[in-house]
Amino acid sequence: MTVSVEPQSFHYVLFDAAAIGDVAAIVLEQLAMTEHDVHIAVDETTPVSRVRVEVGDPIVVRAESGAFEDARRPRQLSQQNTALNLGRMLLRVRDRTDGSFGEAPQDDQMTLAHVAAWDAYIVGRLERSGQTINRQRFLYNFRNRHGFTDTGDAAFEQLWCADRLTWNELASISATALAARL
Amino acid sequence: MRTFLPVEDLARDDRFVRYTMRERMADKRASARIDAKERGKTSNRITPDRRDAADAARGLMHGILVGEIQALEGAGRTCHDFRVTGIAERGPLATQPIADAAPAAEVPFALKLDMARQAWDEARHVEISVKLAEWMGSDIGSVAENTVLFEAACSTDPVLRLAGVNRALEGLAIDVFTTMKEFGELAQDPYLAFCEDWMLADEVTHVKMGSDWLRSLTANDPARRERALEFQRVVDKMFSFGGTRSDSMDSPIGLARRFRELAGFTDDEVADIAEVSLQALNERKQSIRAARRSSADAVPPTSNPPTSNPR
Repeated sequence: MTVSVEPQSFHYVLFDAAAIGDVAAIVLEQLAMTEHDVHIAVDETTPVSRVRVEVGDPIVVRAESGAFEDARRPRQLSQQNTALNLGRMLLRVRDRTDGSFGEAPQDDQMTLAHVAAWDAYIVGRLERSGQTINRQRFLYNFRNRHGFTDTGDAAFEQLWCADRLTWNELASISATALAARL
Repeated sequence: MRTFLPVEDLARDDRFVRYTMRERMADKRASARIDAKERGKTSNRITPDRRDAADAARGLMHGILVGEIQALEGAGRTCHDFRVTGIAERGPLATQPIADAAPAAEVPFALKLDMARQAWDEARHVEISVKLAEWMGSDIGSVAENTVLFEAACSTDPVLRLAGVNRALEGLAIDVFTTMKEFGELAQDPYLAFCEDWMLADEVTHVKMGSDWLRSLTANDPARRERALEFQRVVDKMFSFGGTRSDSMDSPIGLARRFRELAGFTDDEVADIAEVSLQALNERKQSIRAARRSSADAVPPTSNPPTSNPR
């Protein structure tokens, strides 16, 4: 496993490249993905919290600085948010490259409902891997995309608690929730 | 009890982390694309169709929560900081000097009653906002607190305080609550739209109280009224947060013209706020362009290939 971080020194934010690398190494261990090399490119010039991933060797995670930032202490690194957003991207890669998961649409072609559903499936597993997660945050995001209904909440629960879904199963759970939207 | 409490002495437990304007200004990350067109969008408003909708609404909700806490503190201080007109003695406070505010530091008892009512409303809003923040997935103190709202409530002249708090701050609350209410309606969130609507009704009343008192207290003192309105313009520009609130679709929060009318703003006053907000937006756009130019001119010190750490 090799983790590289770019840039090595930060000027707009008070991040530490080595600390980001350490968090990435822990997350790779937690997710049993230590056979992968990862390159993390941080755009420190923007406070936005977008994060994207490119499947390949190495896996490339492109994060805007807000994705790794501590909202309580602006410009400072949050290990928790770094672990969460790296974990989200890495599990997405693990799902995509796992032969049994099936073909998910490309990230830029995915509907917002599918993004929320996949996030619920991913973050539930991250929580079980030991990360500290605010479950309500992801439930609220899921409800925004699928409606504030009991059926929607049951769908979220199903995704959150699942350990092995295919893309088609995930999409079907999302569709069930959407159909119940008022 | 002390009068004129400085912002540094506000009571907060260790869940809260304060973020000063100086720290905010030191953050040079300015490349966020404020022009909606640059992002291929027609609007930057906080709406459910945004990719980051839930996070943006959650962040705004936490801002509302700390804003309500500071509004409660501001209204409470206004109840306590000033003497009642015609009552020379008020226990030990009668001998306490009030910095350079002596002629203006008296208010009618009815104004204090209005501020007490407002403090009661704000306390209820804090409780509602805590519940809404939890419902949306954030914890108290999960975002840094900027105390600029309370700072607008520190004037030693009650008329300036009414202009800053009741008209500028509570006016901003009208805009923010309208945006959140619309977000809740579009997302079909059963609680958000309902709660925001109830709080919005109170905010309209608070602004109306400020408008009425400002006119009544300065009826025979046009210079004082002008000072108060000038102070309000400064606070309004500050509360536009670099273009976060304006009529432009580039701003995440719109100007709630109809509710502002109901709150006692004249058409000219609303036009003034629209202009000041737009000015703040345009200044921010210019500063972003300048920051982009300067970062493009500077060769990044990270042009060396990143090092790899075998693990």
